[in-house]
Amino acid sequence: MSDIKLGISLYSFSTEYIHEKLDLEGILKKARDMGYRGVEIVAAQMVPQYPYPTDEWLAEFKALLAKYELEPVCWSAYIDMGIRSDRDLTEEEIIQFTVNDLIYAKKAGFPLVRTQHAITPKIFRAMIPYCKELGVKLTIEMHHPHHPAVPVWKEYFEIMKNEGKGWLGFVPDFSIFQTMPHKLYLDQAISFGCREDKLAQIVEIHKNGGDYSLVENGDFNEIEKHTAEEMFAKFSAPARIEQLKDVMDCAFYIHGKFYYLDNDDHDVCIPFEELVAEIKRLGYKGYIASEYEGHHFDETIDSEEQLKHFVALMTKQIEK
Amino acid sequence: MDFQAYNKILICKSNMKNVAVGDVVIGYEFQIKYPSYRGAFLSCIEDLKFFVDDEEIPAGKISFKLNGKDFLLSELKECFKEYWFVRTPATVFVRQDGGIPSGEHKLRVYMKHRVPYTGYFGQYLVLDSDVTETKIAE
Repeated sequence: MSDIKLGISLYSFSTEYIHEKLDLEGILKKARDMGYRGVEIVAAQMVPQYPYPTDEWLAEFKALLAKYELEPVCWSAYIDMGIRSDRDLTEEEIIQFTVNDLIYAKKAGFPLVRTQHAITPKIFRAMIPYCKELGVKLTIEMHHPHHPAVPVWKEYFEIMKNEGKGWLGFVPDFSIFQTMPHKLYLDQAISFGCREDKLAQIVEIHKNGGDYSLVENGDFNEIEKHTAEEMFAKFSAPARIEQLKDVMDCAFYIHGKFYYLDNDDHDVCIPFEELVAEIKRLGYKGYIASEYEGHHFDETIDSEEQLKHFVALMTKQIEK
Repeated sequence: MDFQAYNKILICKSNMKNVAVGDVVIGYEFQIKYPSYRGAFLSCIEDLKFFVDDEEIPAGKISFKLNGKDFLLSELKECFKEYWFVRTPATVFVRQDGGIPSGEHKLRVYMKHRVPYTGYFGQYLVLDSDVTETKIAE
């Protein structure tokens, strides 16, 4: 039995959820039927009265988790600093939102909250007493375009390793290791007006280091130029797998992000085999969430089929 | 481009309906949803326009109904405590004497909205959701 367990972010079923093919119970049942135990909920997505769910809703939700024998693992929160039209949220307001998420996570039975890197080191540190009081851990997701060498993370890791030890941690998201655009991204680019041969050229330029001047001065239309610009910025894969070793002790949870899989063995965009091998070698114990995110690009893809590919691929690597 | 597939939920499948008060038809309504994978506060909407049969509906004729309240479009930017759940349709009411003729109509909805967690590099991602569909008025 491995120390690493595969869980699921319910967000993986975004397409079915927002198109009202599955409701929350339908997704929980599906997760259970697929063999999952540990679940993550994106509160701003699936909690109807967010950010202040009622006791009735919380009781119903807990009853559903019990009914399908699911384990609450992660309550996902945001730093929505741009809510207001006139200004960014103040420190006091961000603290209020974050404490609110810690409280509702606890009410819903979740031991861990995932927030975002915009929290700032000062506010992150200020959350320690709340975490201890409530018995809820707080983590920051390291998501593309961030990576371990982004300066603020040095500060975050210092806090996690010192005064926040055991309470404050991070959630590496596999998006930081993505090296090239996925199929759904490329298909969408074509549907927006990229010519297939030109897009292939852009992908080739990206593989060779992403020199944008070759696109800017070449025979490309506006949407192709825009796509190249976005692609070179987005899939530059600045995180290296070997960077995990110095910070793995701070990882309380992992986001197994993926965008599109057409088989059970390998993805050309994210190096899952090397990632799992390294995570195992470093002695990580806990959940890796299955997090399908292709729904940003194409709502015709079956999320369950994607998740099945992911489970098959990851199980082989975990049990290797 | 992230978020683009969510525009498919902007215009709800339900029909356009005339609205009567007693025996007087005062206008018509249709439903829209927030085009994202998650909910948002109404203050994240930077612009919202509606076109029926290629004609823009003047903002002054529109009520945006959500969470049991009616809002003017000009009020939305102030509603930073009014949460729009991603599965809850908002009803757009258009004041028009006699309502809308039954049959097919072209409805275009344009929404410019800010993704509130994207501002960490100083600039927010602002999305244009622009969807046109043929609707049936009952």
